[in-house]
Amino acid sequence: MFYRTAGQFKTSYEADHALFPVRQDAILLGVILIFAFVIFPFTASEFAFRALLIPVLIYSLAALGLNILTGYAGQLSLGTGAFMGVGAYACYKLVSIFPEMNIVVAIALSGFFSAAIGVLFGLPSLRIKGFYLAIATLAAQFFLVWLFQKWAWLYNYNASGAIQVPNIDLFGITVAGPRATAMAQYYFVLCVVCAITFFAINITRGRIGRMWKAVRDMDIAAELVGINLMRTKLMAFFVSSYVVGIAGALFVFLWRGAAEANLFDIPLSFRVLFIAIIGGLGSILGNFLGAILIVALPVIISSVPGAFGIPVDSAMVEHLNIMIIGALIIAFLIIEPHGLARFWAMIREKFILWPFPH
Amino acid sequence: MKRMLKTAILSSALMMGVGIAGPAMAQDDSIYIPNLAYRTGPFAATGTPLMNGQRDYITLLNERDGGLNGVKLDYDECETGYNTEKGVECYEKTKARAVVTQPWSTGITLQVLPKSNVDKIPILAPGYGFSPMADGKVFQWAYNPPSSYWDGASMILKNISDGNLDSLKDKKIAFLHLDHPFGKEPIPLLEVLAEKHGFELVPIPVGLTEMQNQSAQWLQIRRERPDFVVMWGWGAMNAGAITEAVKTKYPMDQFVGVWWSGHDGDLKLVGEQGKGYRSISWSVPNSEAPLMADIKKYVVDAGKSQINQSEGEFDSVFYQRGLMISVILVEGIKAAQEEFDVRTPSPEQLRWGLENINLDEARLKELGADGMLVPFSTSCSNHTGHGGGWMLQWDGAKFVKASDLLTPDRAEIEPLELEKAKEYAEANAPWPVNEECKM
Repeated sequence: MFYRTAGQFKTSYEADHALFPVRQDAILLGVILIFAFVIFPFTASEFAFRALLIPVLIYSLAALGLNILTGYAGQLSLGTGAFMGVGAYACYKLVSIFPEMNIVVAIALSGFFSAAIGVLFGLPSLRIKGFYLAIATLAAQFFLVWLFQKWAWLYNYNASGAIQVPNIDLFGITVAGPRATAMAQYYFVLCVVCAITFFAINITRGRIGRMWKAVRDMDIAAELVGINLMRTKLMAFFVSSYVVGIAGALFVFLWRGAAEANLFDIPLSFRVLFIAIIGGLGSILGNFLGAILIVALPVIISSVPGAFGIPVDSAMVEHLNIMIIGALIIAFLIIEPHGLARFWAMIREKFILWPFPH
Repeated sequence: MKRMLKTAILSSALMMGVGIAGPAMAQDDSIYIPNLAYRTGPFAATGTPLMNGQRDYITLLNERDGGLNGVKLDYDECETGYNTEKGVECYEKTKARAVVTQPWSTGITLQVLPKSNVDKIPILAPGYGFSPMADGKVFQWAYNPPSSYWDGASMILKNISDGNLDSLKDKKIAFLHLDHPFGKEPIPLLEVLAEKHGFELVPIPVGLTEMQNQSAQWLQIRRERPDFVVMWGWGAMNAGAITEAVKTKYPMDQFVGVWWSGHDGDLKLVGEQGKGYRSISWSVPNSEAPLMADIKKYVVDAGKSQINQSEGEFDSVFYQRGLMISVILVEGIKAAQEEFDVRTPSPEQLRWGLENINLDEARLKELGADGMLVPFSTSCSNHTGHGGGWMLQWDGAKFVKASDLLTPDRAEIEPLELEKAKEYAEANAPWPVNEECKM
């Protein structure tokens, strides 16, 4: 059927370790990229860009960052929201101190700030594990949000304590700020997300990724085979926080346009963690699936009654929405505790074997 | 990133869903008034009566008069739960047809404010939002009548000092506020005034997560022994603060709140013990007014209202304030209809209308809302109107008017407003200002 692998022979190690050992996967990815780059931009309304496409991409990126740390390297973190905040505030300060700086450079640099903070709060991971580490990262969460509120320099002494994104051009096109068109912002986010996803896929399937997985599965054994635990764990914190920081900068600059410290409080961390868990820990695809479920589905559900002309109060829709999403999360986790990515992998296996049961 | 068929299926399904949602809303001869309401979440208790009031006034016009000058008003709510993210989503969803944006949170206002110049839809934020929005030349599309937060802060200080701010010298004023853009709004003005008049300002923030449990803040208040506590609270924070004040036996007559901290429900929790608590307000409930009789007859008794009658919501400050908010909006729409001779004014025309509201005492009387709202008028340079307000005082069972009409000390506020407005425009350059306005 769709996934006839017969006739695809691997004649070298290189072919066997290719990114897409099965040709259909590559075709499928190509189709999705065509959708993302060509078809969506031409069909989507501004609302679809701002409420569905851009947030899904940004949340996927944040979950990807967390997944590197929690899914691949096995270090549980509850500080994602705060690390996103570090990226956002760093980008804001860079742009306001150096207004001439290219926005791509500013976003890329802001990732290093959150990476540095991430490594700092990752230090306890050398001594503690699991839930205890989660508490240490929770401390980062509380401390950083408090800092965002109290350190007025961070928000340029703005009276309301919020940061506002100015208009920023990239090669003559406004990509950030109130004048930016949704399509320009979408393409910007899409390119950044694609580039980082490509980087993440390759790093997780290479030497470093294997070191992370070894540490995740059993750190004593990993140490015995000669993996330097300190370097590996801190590298995971570094790479993860870098990606999360970039997601945070995009979150504010390419989507929200303004932010106050409370935005980066613990609900955001939990939201990203849910995306990673429901999507599937230790998977790249899962982040995207999880973000679609957690971020996009509520928006779609809330527009259903309006689309069919059913007169329901918006408050009622909101209550129903929370119930439906909650039920779906539980249902998915019962059906497949390893997340949506694993769910898809099972479907794919079935496709490959189809029409035979085994 | 392989195996993404599912992503594709889901996203294309989602795209189709949105595609359908757009055109299905038919355009007809009515004025579409969206409201970014919150009847869910931690602020639902205070939000719901306000939304009910706004909704009921529009229902009244549709039922009693067949709309406004014969045009039906299409009131619609989009639920935000006071969440900025949801608010922006709602803004994007409604903006295609909306004549006005009613953001209903200072956070959401700050988010949509920069977009107002691009999307060209006026923002109406009665009694909330960014205080420098009063400068209509800079903030062409934003309105916060009839009084801004800075006006409110000035009036409170004026009232507690019996009209002479210098009498506050060496006194200590605790400023208990929600740690959110809303709560921080008056701080710049209070700091300037503290400096000038020599009183000591102690800002005490209450985080969103600690609204219900303010023991730490009230411990600080007990330690500092301030002469007055001024509160900028909202939602669950008000009830928390008032119960804590009763518990710590803070004298209620030295405790003053902004208009959003004057919710009947919060004071009913403490009843008699809350006696003496004051809240500044630009609206006063008057259930005897002719307008209220009409609301009762055409909306409440006709079963078209969502208010909770057994709880006395009809008489509450917030419900009647919600009505007044719709009165302000409808006055703006009416002005636009008459000026441009159109049935359904465009957002640009409504912008003119909101700039030319004239709700003087005669007009309020005509509407049957005599004494329920401060009289005010707006202009192209004055988007707030600065109508002032009254002190409401809790008498143990309800809020009663406890002062004459207070007015803000504009001479102290205006320079700061102009300065902050200019700063905002500079930070958001290119920011178009209204050059035509010569006032």
